Amino acid sequence: MESVIAGLIIAVIKILVILGVVLGVGAYLTLVERKVAAHIQRRPGPMVVGWHGLLQPLADGLKLMTKEDLFPRYGNRVLYNLALIMALVPATLVFAVIPFGPEFELFGYKIKPILTDVNVGLLLVFGLGSLAVYAIALAGWASNSKYPLIGSMRKAGIIVSYEVAITFAVMGPLILAGTLSTYNIVEAQIEQKLWYVWLQPVAFVVFMFSLLAETGRVPFDIQEAEAELVTGFTVEYGGMKFGLFPLVEWYVEVLSLSAIAVVLFLGGWSPINIPFIGFIDPLFFLGPLSPFVWFILKVTALFLFILWLHWTLPRYRIDQITEIAWKVMLPLALFNLVFTAIIAPVVWR
Amino acid sequence: MPWINRGAIDRILHEFKDAKPIEGKSVSGFEVPKSRLKSFLKHLRDKERFVHFIDHTLIDFPEGKHRFQAVYILYNPDQNERVVVKSWAEKDSLPTVQDLWAGAKWAEREAYDMFGVDYEGHENLRRMFMWEGYEHFPLRKDFPLGGVPEEELPSMTEILGGRTDPPSHDFEFLHTKVPTLEDIERTERARLKKKAQLVLNWGPLHPGTHGTIWFLFDLEGENVLQSDVILGQLHRGMEKIAENLHYFQFLPYTDRMDYISAICNELSYVSAVEKLLKVEVPEKARYIRTLFAELQRINSHLLWLGTGALDLGALTVFLYCFREREKIMDIIEGNAGFRLTSAFLRIGGVHYDLAQGTLDVVKAFVKDFRNKLKEYHTLLTRNRIWLRRTKEVGIITREDVHSYGLSGPVARASGVPYDLRKLEPYAAYDEVEFDVPVGEVGDVYDRYLVRMEEMAQSLRIVEQCVEKLEKLPKDAPYVNKSHPCVIPPKEDVFTSLEDMVQSFRVVVHGESAPQDEVFVSAENPRGELGFYIYSKGEGKPYRLRIRSGALYNLSIFPKLMEGRTIADAIALLGSLDPVVGETDR
Repeated sequence: MESVIAGLIIAVIKILVILGVVLGVGAYLTLVERKVAAHIQRRPGPMVVGWHGLLQPLADGLKLMTKEDLFPRYGNRVLYNLALIMALVPATLVFAVIPFGPEFELFGYKIKPILTDVNVGLLLVFGLGSLAVYAIALAGWASNSKYPLIGSMRKAGIIVSYEVAITFAVMGPLILAGTLSTYNIVEAQIEQKLWYVWLQPVAFVVFMFSLLAETGRVPFDIQEAEAELVTGFTVEYGGMKFGLFPLVEWYVEVLSLSAIAVVLFLGGWSPINIPFIGFIDPLFFLGPLSPFVWFILKVTALFLFILWLHWTLPRYRIDQITEIAWKVMLPLALFNLVFTAIIAPVVWR
Repeated sequence: MPWINRGAIDRILHEFKDAKPIEGKSVSGFEVPKSRLKSFLKHLRDKERFVHFIDHTLIDFPEGKHRFQAVYILYNPDQNERVVVKSWAEKDSLPTVQDLWAGAKWAEREAYDMFGVDYEGHENLRRMFMWEGYEHFPLRKDFPLGGVPEEELPSMTEILGGRTDPPSHDFEFLHTKVPTLEDIERTERARLKKKAQLVLNWGPLHPGTHGTIWFLFDLEGENVLQSDVILGQLHRGMEKIAENLHYFQFLPYTDRMDYISAICNELSYVSAVEKLLKVEVPEKARYIRTLFAELQRINSHLLWLGTGALDLGALTVFLYCFREREKIMDIIEGNAGFRLTSAFLRIGGVHYDLAQGTLDVVKAFVKDFRNKLKEYHTLLTRNRIWLRRTKEVGIITREDVHSYGLSGPVARASGVPYDLRKLEPYAAYDEVEFDVPVGEVGDVYDRYLVRMEEMAQSLRIVEQCVEKLEKLPKDAPYVNKSHPCVIPPKEDVFTSLEDMVQSFRVVVHGESAPQDEVFVSAENPRGELGFYIYSKGEGKPYRLRIRSGALYNLSIFPKLMEGRTIADAIALLGSLDPVVGETDR
């Protein structure tokens, strides 16, 4: 009985911590993005609100909160609001299966820093990822407007194309690890003393492409394409409702998929890996905190890489994006899968 | 650029007995009766190789037997000659020439809009700039300068709310809940034919249109079956204004046409007026003009590059371009006193002498800009995504260049070396060395490359101008004040009696222009900007027609858009680079 209550309390604490960190960090990533973009473009970025604009996200939030709640005439109010929920909930739920670090002991209880270590964790991730298309399709449809409709159709096309590629891309690491549980995949990499990116570079590249496409980052940001569609499916949303979509798409989803990339390919919380030598931890002095810091560092590096792309490259056209998905990415991922499936049983175990 | 030669005139007169040559003017050409107009023009196009359409407009003579005189200006790229063809619009109607030159389509619509002359056989004769249902024709001489007061009709919202008085700050009424029936009807009528279920309103207030152009796309999925362009949101009646002002007074208005390259507009205008008034320009002024026109060209191309890249998603190039643009703006501001609409040139010279230290700043800029240009090339030229977005998109053939009357980088990208700085040198362009870059394919990528190379060539011209200006004595005249039509510089006006009298006379009575007609055009960053001035010998032009390069360049857009996607629309429009201030005037 006692252990059930303790388990519940631990779960609640985990949920609160994850929600707080994800949404809080998500909001602050807007500032990070603006600062990074500004420095890429040789300007200071937000400087007025707080020291170097540190309070800018709060000011933005306040502004969005106090805006008038607009609703397009002849729109579908239920779907219009449902789209918001459908966008936010699946994106946040992904964090339930992301392991932030190794198991540790606190007050006699063993705690895994993962909300639920289900044995089909990755399946859940891609199930939830596919749900994102609902949010955007609903938002575009319920707005009763042409630009959102075109934007949402574009996005639906992309997600359908890349969902296939991304699923085949993660099969490689899955075969190597022999499990679907995210926690165990990391453990497997630590045991085998090898990040899977060294064995599966093709899968990693396909995964990164799909990440960019699914989260609508440049060069795949055509569902927003501010010069063509103004901002695509968010045109008819106002105030915080408008703010939520980019928050979810550009920050929460990018974070979750980067975390999955770290888990699958970059060895989760393990320190730097050099093939055939093992792990080297320059952050050993942090003691038990070092794995958590490594995890955060890797996710941050991936996020900054995505920002760098976003503020440098032009964007593709819709037909070119789906063309890349079906003609390049999918065959590559398939080939990689078949290759891994043939080689791995022979060489690996 | 020379006008049609004597031999060709005789040859054509032999063929057409009832054509009369135009003599004693700065332009040469023919006057033909309306019945023979079409076959005459066809003969010019097919037999005499006047294939390039430059302009068509009308002149209103209310007291004449026939009221409207049509003017066609054509160009022969083989001989590098222009010709003017005139004809009277008997019974206020003319035959359409849109089947000879596609560029005439919009020119005739504009003439119809402004004068109310009917074009028999025109496929889509409707208002160009004014709205459907407008009863008046603004460029007719009997149309008042202030316009006819408009009776404000209540909107549908106001009728539904029971209100007929003009709306106050009651925002409930200001929201248009339902588009007014009139709005819908006008949009419907303003189209050729609806081809698809989903009609996308692209503009007038859309960031991709670079101003206020209103496009209507008939969509089949993402593909555009047909696109319509509705212009006129920025129409200010420049030509009407010009008819009511002295020549020097109209100069600041030209800044407001293509507001991104103000000095180039001024240069085109003053070249035309100087040709009409026969004013010689001092050497120093010519070099200052060339220097600033080329700086302005770089400035304008930088804006094009920045916004074009922004449209295709490359957000950072935009700010990199604006960084350099700011430096040019500072140079212009330091000399003219204004950044954007500078009003720097004057008839007979320039307003101010070069400011102290200008040449050093320009030299530093030129040195620095070469590296910056390399930076832009590194960011875009070999970028695979950029290539995929621009290559094979919107290919313009050479025939289309002539038929639509395209000019500027758009024409040159298609392999037509039509650069007026070479063909009809004005300012000091005949004394500086530069190359004219031309493209091969004529797609968006070629237009990009041509403009990039033009910036490099402009730098060469700027360098030569700086070199020359450094050699000229500091006190060399920058205004030719010996000509009676030129306003002397202000410091002379305040110190010498003769100059004050001359200034007073010109400002009050205007320049006394001779009876003449001129057509002078200049190579603007956006194409050929021409001024056709018909003078009856007063202080004001009787008719001043502005031939806008941006308008003709835009006129090929619907053709290029057929079957392309919305995403291409933005790449295409960016590569045609219209500025609405000039297309609408």
